[in-house]
Amino acid sequence: MSSTTPNQIATNALRRSQLYRRHMAMSAAFEALTDSTVVSCYGTGEGELKQAQHLGLADLSTLPRAGFKGLGTPDWAAGQGLQLPVQPNRANLQDDGTLVARLSQTELLLASNLDGLSESIANISLGSQLPERVYSLPRSDSHSWLVLCGSQAAATLSKVCGVDLRPHKFANGEVAQTSIAKINGVLVRNDLGETLSYSIFSDSSSIEFLWDSLLDAMAEFEGTAVGIQALRDC
Amino acid sequence: MSHTSRLSPPFGSLIDRQQPIHFRFEKRNYEGFAGDNIASALAANQQWLLSRSFKYHRPRGVLTMAGQDANSMIQLPSDPNALADRVAISDGLEVMGQNYSGSLNRDSGALLGLFSRFLPVGFYYKAFFKPRGIWEKWAPLIRKKAGLGVINQDYQSEYYDKQYQFYDVAVIGAGPAGLSAALQAAKTGAEVLLVDENASLGGSLNYSRLDAEGIAARELRQQLVAEVEASANITAMTSATCNGWFADNWLPIICGKRLYKVRAKQTILCVGSLEQQAVFHNNDLPGVIMSSAAQRLMHLYGVRPGKTAVVVTGNNEGYATALDLLDAGVQVKAIVDLRQQPEYNEIAQYALSKGLEVKTGYAVYAANKDRSGLHLGSVEVREIISQGVCAASGETIACDTLCMSVGYTPTYQLICQGGGQLSYDDDSSMFTLTNCPDNCQIAGSVNSHWQLGDVIADAQRAAIIATNELGLSTQALPDAITLSQHQGPNFGWPIFAHPKGKEFVDFDEDLQIADIINATRDGYEHVQLVKRYSTCGMGPSQGRHSALATARLVAAATNKTVAQTGVTTARPPFSAEHLAHSAGRSFYPAQRSNMHYRHLEAGAQMLQAGAWYRPAYYGTTNQRESSINNEVKNVRNNVGLVDVSTLGGLEVRGPDAAEFLNRFYTFAFLKQPVGKARYALLTNEAGVVIDDGVACRFSEQHYYVTATTGGVGNVYQSMLKWNAQWRLDVDIANVTSAYSAVNIAGPNARKVLAKLCSDIDLGSEAFPYMGVREGTVAGIAARVIRVGFVGELGYEVHIPQHCGEALWDALIDAGAEFSIKPFGIEAQRILRLEKGHIIIGQDTDAMSNPTEVNMAWAIAKKKPFFVGGRSIQELNKAPLKRCQVGFVVNDLNAPIPLESHLVLDGDRMTGRVTSCNYSPTLNKPLGLAFVEPDQAEAGSHFKIKSSGGVMVDAMVVELPFYDPETQRQEL
Repeated sequence: MSSTTPNQIATNALRRSQLYRRHMAMSAAFEALTDSTVVSCYGTGEGELKQAQHLGLADLSTLPRAGFKGLGTPDWAAGQGLQLPVQPNRANLQDDGTLVARLSQTELLLASNLDGLSESIANISLGSQLPERVYSLPRSDSHSWLVLCGSQAAATLSKVCGVDLRPHKFANGEVAQTSIAKINGVLVRNDLGETLSYSIFSDSSSIEFLWDSLLDAMAEFEGTAVGIQALRDC
Repeated sequence: MSHTSRLSPPFGSLIDRQQPIHFRFEKRNYEGFAGDNIASALAANQQWLLSRSFKYHRPRGVLTMAGQDANSMIQLPSDPNALADRVAISDGLEVMGQNYSGSLNRDSGALLGLFSRFLPVGFYYKAFFKPRGIWEKWAPLIRKKAGLGVINQDYQSEYYDKQYQFYDVAVIGAGPAGLSAALQAAKTGAEVLLVDENASLGGSLNYSRLDAEGIAARELRQQLVAEVEASANITAMTSATCNGWFADNWLPIICGKRLYKVRAKQTILCVGSLEQQAVFHNNDLPGVIMSSAAQRLMHLYGVRPGKTAVVVTGNNEGYATALDLLDAGVQVKAIVDLRQQPEYNEIAQYALSKGLEVKTGYAVYAANKDRSGLHLGSVEVREIISQGVCAASGETIACDTLCMSVGYTPTYQLICQGGGQLSYDDDSSMFTLTNCPDNCQIAGSVNSHWQLGDVIADAQRAAIIATNELGLSTQALPDAITLSQHQGPNFGWPIFAHPKGKEFVDFDEDLQIADIINATRDGYEHVQLVKRYSTCGMGPSQGRHSALATARLVAAATNKTVAQTGVTTARPPFSAEHLAHSAGRSFYPAQRSNMHYRHLEAGAQMLQAGAWYRPAYYGTTNQRESSINNEVKNVRNNVGLVDVSTLGGLEVRGPDAAEFLNRFYTFAFLKQPVGKARYALLTNEAGVVIDDGVACRFSEQHYYVTATTGGVGNVYQSMLKWNAQWRLDVDIANVTSAYSAVNIAGPNARKVLAKLCSDIDLGSEAFPYMGVREGTVAGIAARVIRVGFVGELGYEVHIPQHCGEALWDALIDAGAEFSIKPFGIEAQRILRLEKGHIIIGQDTDAMSNPTEVNMAWAIAKKKPFFVGGRSIQELNKAPLKRCQVGFVVNDLNAPIPLESHLVLDGDRMTGRVTSCNYSPTLNKPLGLAFVEPDQAEAGSHFKIKSSGGVMVDAMVVELPFYDPETQRQEL
């Protein structure tokens, strides 16, 4: 048995979030995923649930994602057992917690549940060769994945995004493909239980910039980074 | 100093007398209270002189107490031209006056006023254009004398930011109209934003006198504000300025250090009116103030404006001011009523009952200085004989305060920015506003309603229109409020010329009556031309207090009506704003590869290419040249590793993928074998080279195409655009950020890669030059491409983005036994130059066609169409005007030419250098240059004008410079 700890894996895993140095500098505790790690909590994690309910930012970039586009995508995906949102710019959760966002009539974005073991993604990604006019997109790598959650999340986003994302104007499951802190992103409202939550998917090479920009915007509302465990606990 | 003249409550509603605050003005200590602004706190200490005027250095002080005039501009440590009647005092604040020579009290620059008759309007235009060059001599002197505040060049930037907000209804102005409109709208459930630039909601209710006893305004304010504060769906912002109106109710609202970018479905502008000054000799003396300023001083700050006052008025508001002054213990010497036949209201009659001396049909003809020369000492009052003309003599009344109440202009700026029309009624002498933009209403005094009941009814009506439009209410719309038939507040001609002038129309620019009239006499009759010739209305207050008087004067001078004359265009911003508000928090998106920190750890000096950070070279800056040269040598002789994650990556997939590329790029792609890469040169419709890369065919229907770092965005958009026309069955995806990539290059590249790659046969026959394979490298799914950009055996390895650092680590480890070293962009540039490869954008320009840059080989001759093909055909029919050649500099002592250095033939410019570097491989400088075709033959020489004008001899050589047989990259 290897005695490697998750924190060591963070520096040695095949897949590494570009933020892992920042996480380590904030005394992050990591938990292992298949070929990567994700921040479980910062420090002891005490009070992190409350922080997440107030205002938290989590990096889920190492969790699995998938994307598909092409004219044949809706029928094929439905045939794979996915429950698709009826119209574009809507998202829903599958039974296993996988988030499916419909970005256009013919484009889907799938994001793992918080266990990082999304069956829907595993099944659909490992399935037989894609039929004609269904094209996979490398969403696990093209996009980073940040979750901004808590009662102050909408107010924070109003400092970096020109879309009205207030909870009573932007319903759970709505999708905005927009500019966030001057970079393109897909923003999905995906509440965690009763906690307001937005998943932000944006260019993976810009994640450090976006992370810093969001933390800067959050400071006014006393927001901080949180680990994935706080999201699960919400 | 301490404040000595504060009035007892209820005067001073904004100040907290329990919180003293200490600050300094002109290096003297002062005390004020929390809630004071600089002007009010100084006034409480009898410091009325705030600054000096722009042109004549005249003493200036409080005028409006509303942050609307340039007279109150002061210098803060990091903020010139701050408004003393807008900026709150704070402990330790250092405040100075502005624009004086010597001291504020004794300004030698004021001598300029003595020469004002020699400085007529248009003086600069007339005086300094001959002889040639004279302006350059005068300009520094004039600019030193005529100026405003001083910029602190050591200013440390502060944190400003922006926030988006969204509302159903935005109400701008929180006076009685704004409060009423907001409440009416909120009743329907609308989300309402209520904005006011003052520190307290209520507008004129905070300081106006609406009844004889002087209590109605206060009670109404308390009631309305309490209702607003109790309303859950009204957001009230005070000390917030709506600085513009833009299409679709986009409202920039500045509050503190934040710019709120507000989108409102409906806007109601209840922005009120601006009190105007009377125009008479010395009307700018400190102590001559608007009536509303006197009321603000007393009611908001508990400051008595003076000891003895005269009120000059053209309406009944002046009588209300007189009553307020009496309540504050000020001796009111006289009310000078410009009207011949006043129509008194209840308040005026009450004032009359107090036994005040009223001089009806009289004007203030001149103001006189006191002994100090810095403040009002008396006014000269004369009977009005005819419009603007006074009797030959009059009466002098000693006073230290003159309150002016002669009329208003609506605060038209925001409405006019939205296309609103400003008209003038010559009978009532008032401006009116019409033609508001869609989804925008005006209400209250800005809409020409002056009676309180009318103001409130008008505001409620505007709110009903707004909420009905939003579908939040279906109320029957009340009839429009008819304009009051009572005598209006504006006196038609409060302008009285004086033989000695100094009757200021525009305080900002020290413009007098004669300046405006003379501008029309100089031929500038249109009010827009008068503005530009005289600079009237171009100062910091943007004509707030000069537009009406100017329009009247221009109208009279040109025999037109004021309605025909109009006013100048109002443009945003409404009031001065810091550039920092527009800039906000700095968002400079930065892109970093997954290996970024490995470069830093290896000592890389990073450079930015667009938003990307890339390693320029590894080593200290003082060892730049040797570091780069060593990196080059290591690639040529051993093996190097470069991060090429920034390369663009595009997936082109589908049944028509090959046909699409065949149309899009210049080369032929239909017969490209699977497992091979092909050079892809892109031209635009004009046949100009705009990008390049390689197209890797991984299956019949799948190409992975690389593009340049800076060009991939445009290439992707161009692909989408063309296929929108072609309708080919193909899918295009920009996957640039999905892949990390490295190029491992050098004679030992294969050996290193082989240690990590078990499922791809890397042998030269199994995996030849320009082959592409899929497999794993260090256990990571990889696309491997054999390319030769640097002219050596090399492999580009493209792997999922998040695995970039792991791959880098694995390659560095595997290469350790071969002394692998990373190399940066600078070394890569030299390596590719030695191989004669161009960089699009550096070695090409906006006119470069493929033939000029030796890329004719990359054009398929037989295919029927590609983007730019037709243009290239036509270009090729004409003789070449320039061509790109390789050159070497054999004189090793000559300065190395740089990019864009000129190629000369005698004195004639015949081309330019596009790339040049010292080659550690060939031990001499070599480069690429555009030259004329007759200079292009190998062995011929041309001259380059290098740094410092040194002429460098260059010799044309065949390309490539290195490995002409192309044996190295095909090992």
